[in-house]
Amino acid sequence: MSQAPTQAAATMDVPQELRDRARELGWEDSLIDQALGKGFSLQEVFQALQANIDGASAKNFLATAQPGGASIVRPEFKWMTVPTEWGIRARASDPAMGLTLADINIGTYGDVPDVWHNRSEIARGSYPKPAMEDMGYTIFEKAVVWADCVVPLYEVAVKERWSSATDLNWRSLEALSSDTERAVCQLMTELSERSYYEGVVLGKWLPEISYGFHEMKFFISTVIFDMARHTETFRKRALSNGGGLGLQAPTDYSRVVEEARSYPELLATLFIQDSTLLTLFEHGDDLAQNQVERDMYALCARDRRRMMQYQVERLKHFLFKMPDRREEQNFYMGKAESRVMKEWTDPVVNEPLAILLGGGRDQTEAGMAKLASLRQAQARDYVENLRKATFTRTNLNQRLKELVEA
Amino acid sequence: MAAAPVLTEPTLDLSWLDLYEDPTNATPGKKGLTLKEINLGRYADSARGGGDMTYRLRGATPRPGAHRFGANYQSKAEVWSDNCLMLYEEAVQRQWSSARDIPWDTLGTLPDPMERAMCQLSTMLTEVEFIAGDVPGQFLAEVSAQDFEVGLFLMSQIMDEARHTEVFRKRALANGGGLLAQGQNGLRTLIEAKNFTEMSVLMHVQAEGFVQSMFRLGEMIGHTDADKRIFRMSAQDESRHLAFGVMHLKYVLDTEPQRREEIHHYLDKADGDGGGASGDVQLQEVFESLCILLGGGIDKFDEGLQKFLVLRKRQVNEYMHRLEVAGLGDRRQRVGPLLAQFLD
Ligand SMILES: [Fe+2]
Ligand SMILES: [Fe+2]
Repeated sequence: MSQAPTQAAATMDVPQELRDRARELGWEDSLIDQALGKGFSLQEVFQALQANIDGASAKNFLATAQPGGASIVRPEFKWMTVPTEWGIRARASDPAMGLTLADINIGTYGDVPDVWHNRSEIARGSYPKPAMEDMGYTIFEKAVVWADCVVPLYEVAVKERWSSATDLNWRSLEALSSDTERAVCQLMTELSERSYYEGVVLGKWLPEISYGFHEMKFFISTVIFDMARHTETFRKRALSNGGGLGLQAPTDYSRVVEEARSYPELLATLFIQDSTLLTLFEHGDDLAQNQVERDMYALCARDRRRMMQYQVERLKHFLFKMPDRREEQNFYMGKAESRVMKEWTDPVVNEPLAILLGGGRDQTEAGMAKLASLRQAQARDYVENLRKATFTRTNLNQRLKELVEA
Repeated sequence: MAAAPVLTEPTLDLSWLDLYEDPTNATPGKKGLTLKEINLGRYADSARGGGDMTYRLRGATPRPGAHRFGANYQSKAEVWSDNCLMLYEEAVQRQWSSARDIPWDTLGTLPDPMERAMCQLSTMLTEVEFIAGDVPGQFLAEVSAQDFEVGLFLMSQIMDEARHTEVFRKRALANGGGLLAQGQNGLRTLIEAKNFTEMSVLMHVQAEGFVQSMFRLGEMIGHTDADKRIFRMSAQDESRHLAFGVMHLKYVLDTEPQRREEIHHYLDKADGDGGGASGDVQLQEVFESLCILLGGGIDKFDEGLQKFLVLRKRQVNEYMHRLEVAGLGDRRQRVGPLLAQFLD
């Protein structure tokens, strides 16, 4: 310590751990007291022990050293004077939202660089060590992951948290006809699996993204948690009203997502699911057989809307910053669209929806007609979301095109 | 599966209506309809069948022709922790907001060295919390959907760690200070883990354990209500992460006792020759800032050091106690000298 050592140090109790450690290192028993008597602080003694200074070296050092002089263990509080921006006093700009990420993005701390160069784990705006290990991140370009909306959306997501265990009135569930209950359960089985997989795949990509863009990682963390909640909410609904889990979800589409080789490809392939599931949930009142389901779809839609906003703004930002990658996106979207269209012809995907929309197994014809309009709404919303992101598909899937134009 | 009909094909397949006989009727308990209430019959973890490397969740009927995805663990013992259902639900119930649940207006002017010390500690912690979110992400795909509750727990941890990262960043930028020196090293050990149990022991039990022991001394480290509350709320979350790790280790040792030596081997890497992985308070910047905060001023550094030694002692002894609870009490004889010196 560079301050004058206190007399108190000389008389203070020396913790037994320090004495034991000194003995292990071969220090003479009186050496610690000698050091304190000479005016060294307990901290300096501790650091010498931490540095594994052996008994002979310590004795040697003490014979000549003066407190306050050069020392191999003398702390300098170097971290107190590193040249980072100082004097930041962030305040909540909106009392209802509290102290948000946007509020602390002030001064240089708010600069999100186009390219982040630090390969270690470092907080944006802190003072880097001269050398650190590479943590293995692979994504360093802002254009690939960023959308300005992640900063406010993170806080909105935290504020809009809910619990399936207590925010849905499970006790109000009443028995449905067996076919209708099984239709609900088949849909829940599919949605639960799709949610779980999306949470997993986003989680898998999280460690790839460097920390220059931490707000984006925070936002994706909220989406992953949303996906967990959707997984268990749908499962709870399937197991709480006399039904059970049905056939697992189709895998054609999810495999396309899994096969993504880059983050832009991942998001391009997820775009159609993020959009079509949002539309589905927004039509929750047509599907719901009771209040629990209406509330469930409304809450899930609110979560999904945040992800969709990110999808749209990220794609728009990406295409603006990297126009040479615009055409390329057609490959990924084409692949994803074709698999979703295949899954939309699967009877295990369609029939439960038709029963629920029609109002019973004996109403499937009416249900199929309503499903056709739902599919049309999903297709139109998808194309509209792409349009908002400034993207027009050059080779939109034929079946989707028919739905949009019908 | 019947050939896929077109959208409006009047002939229906409806084979999916006859997949099961038994109706399932979970009813809400005291805490609502939790994962525990739906963990019943053939859907329960005790009825877990073999995995199939698809994302078919436990209890759903396999789809003929389903694609396999990447490899994941086939046996439950690789990932399971008996408390994961409860821990996930607790995580959902106890989410908090750094924006609104911290009394930021109680931050006052601290003496400059104290503010700098708090900012340095926050800089280190915001970094440490980064890795605790990335590592569960890395392992999510390796958890079988047969054990999906473990996946849900990891997803809740990712959310918790995002909040920890940002609450410490907010703290550094809310009281006239700023971020200071990059602090950590040793974090690579966590993301270098190639096995779930290795990851969980190193991260949940050791690193988060060390961090937790520090957070629990938050009343002594923090000098404003806001600071104390940050530590208290974060400790609440860490206790879940820690509990998962301890019970996972216990599950492994109970069901696959032959893995004991292998687990020691991982810990040898993390605590055998070094002072401990992340959450290590002995790094220069962290040690010095903690002594200033614990002592209550730069002029009370030596008092701070006394308390720091209490903290270090607590960290090491609580760590050892957790290992004992998990059934790895023999670790006591194997810890490296830098930890051993603090053992009771
Ligand atoms: Fe944490
Ligand atoms: Fe944690």
